[in-house]
Amino acid sequence: MNYQRLEDLELLAKISEQDRQALAALYDRYGRRVFALAVRMLNDPVGSEEVTQDVFMSVWRRGASYTSKKGKFSTWLFSIAHNRTIDELRKRRRDRSRENADIDDHLNIQSNDISPADAAVAQSEYAKIRAAMEKLPVEQKSVLELSYFNGLTQTEISTKTGQPLGTVKTRMRLALKKLRTALSTEIGAQA
Amino acid sequence: MTETKDSIESNKNLDARFENLASYVLGALDHAEERAAVENLIERDPEVQAEFEELAEAADLLAIAVPTVEPPASLKTRIMEMAGQSAPSRLVEIANIYEKQGGRTGASWWRRAFQSGIGVSAAAAVLVVVVGSALAYQNNHLGNEINSLRADLATESVAVANLQTELSTTLTDSENRVATMKSEMKVMEDDFVATTEMVVHQEEMVSQLGIANNALRQALSDQNWLTYVSTKEGYQVESWLAGNTQQITTTEPTASGLIAVQIVGNEAVFQVHGLPQPQPGYAYTLWLMGNGDPRPVAQFEVSGIGSATITFLLPEPLRFFSTVLVTQERVNGIGTDPSGTMVLSAQTN
Repeated sequence: MNYQRLEDLELLAKISEQDRQALAALYDRYGRRVFALAVRMLNDPVGSEEVTQDVFMSVWRRGASYTSKKGKFSTWLFSIAHNRTIDELRKRRRDRSRENADIDDHLNIQSNDISPADAAVAQSEYAKIRAAMEKLPVEQKSVLELSYFNGLTQTEISTKTGQPLGTVKTRMRLALKKLRTALSTEIGAQA
Repeated sequence: MTETKDSIESNKNLDARFENLASYVLGALDHAEERAAVENLIERDPEVQAEFEELAEAADLLAIAVPTVEPPASLKTRIMEMAGQSAPSRLVEIANIYEKQGGRTGASWWRRAFQSGIGVSAAAAVLVVVVGSALAYQNNHLGNEINSLRADLATESVAVANLQTELSTTLTDSENRVATMKSEMKVMEDDFVATTEMVVHQEEMVSQLGIANNALRQALSDQNWLTYVSTKEGYQVESWLAGNTQQITTTEPTASGLIAVQIVGNEAVFQVHGLPQPQPGYAYTLWLMGNGDPRPVAQFEVSGIGSATITFLLPEPLRFFSTVLVTQERVNGIGTDPSGTMVLSAQTN
């Protein structure tokens, strides 16, 4: 059986039957993105490996609890990854004693499993989404960066930027809507 | 690019149900209660569910909007090894599977089973499946509750950790303040003790200086008399008004004086020392008594240290008088007899 051709939900069903190849296929599909997101937020490849490991072990142990009410599988998976990374980020803010590792030692590590074609596709997606983000009004882009990547809460963003809380909420919503509109083709392709 | 005011204004009247959805999707809500409220809305309100899916898909894109970073190959190996040691939870919906099987075969399946003589066995099997399905369903339900409780517990743990950190910080601040205040109080106490000791020391010094000053004044006084007598050639001291307590009476304990008389001639010198300044409008007056009416000889003022030296002509030889007297009298108002306060008197030799 070619696991690479199976849909996410089919792989999830096999995971519930303790099929480790299905987990490996899901990791091949999403592992880089989960790891890259964690690196972007934590700026620490070693910590990002731990986060990625936790996320996929969570899928292995609790994958069957996923339902379509939680959105697309990729949305659910990235939501787990994002929340897990935010927990780590906020824990580190409380515990300032921990030093970040030197990111330069890890960022360019290349896995032998990734084909040049896959890498090119990933870079292409990244470029499109970054371009869409750059087109957002600077205030909206700022609240997205501060919340999603820096892990600040809406109240912390309000305090940091001096914007009223209501304005912060509105800008978050507008930014997401505009991003979705700008990349509707991309979303369709993913679905 | 900058946003327009209109774009913000257009969202001011946003339905309250959607208010926290974007923050929820971005993981930017502050409290677990807010997250639970949003999840509850998503669960029961289709419109909120639709809006959530739309925003969540956009947030999904953010996860891709990061530079590609390849994880080390060892990470996948490690995850696969851990998966080999840990079985996934089996939440297979047995009840659904059973329902699907029933739907596919229909009621005739039951009739055929009983007609073929395996009714009892089949009934027992069905009973096992039904009970198993119920248990599996219950297991699934409990599993979900446990997951929910774990999530709540994790949130509470974070809140407790935050509270502990804040309390610890507050306690440390208070301890530091108390230590600082104690240190300041100790310094103040030390200063107070040092100041008190200094005051006592100064009082002792003032006392000693007073004693020394009196001794010096006495020495100066004695020196004055000796100097005077030794320089006044042709004079002899007729009456010591100082040091001869049997002959001197005074209301001023520090006062003393003498009268020296020219050996040949009728000139006399009177010198006094240690008198206070007289009352305003008064002056000291020297009297010779005991030879008829009192004779006022001179009215005089004293210096800043209570000294005065006057020279006068004796109306008669001093031996004809019995007493020398000093009183305070009104300036230019001397009567025939002393009437003011007597400050010094002495018998002549």
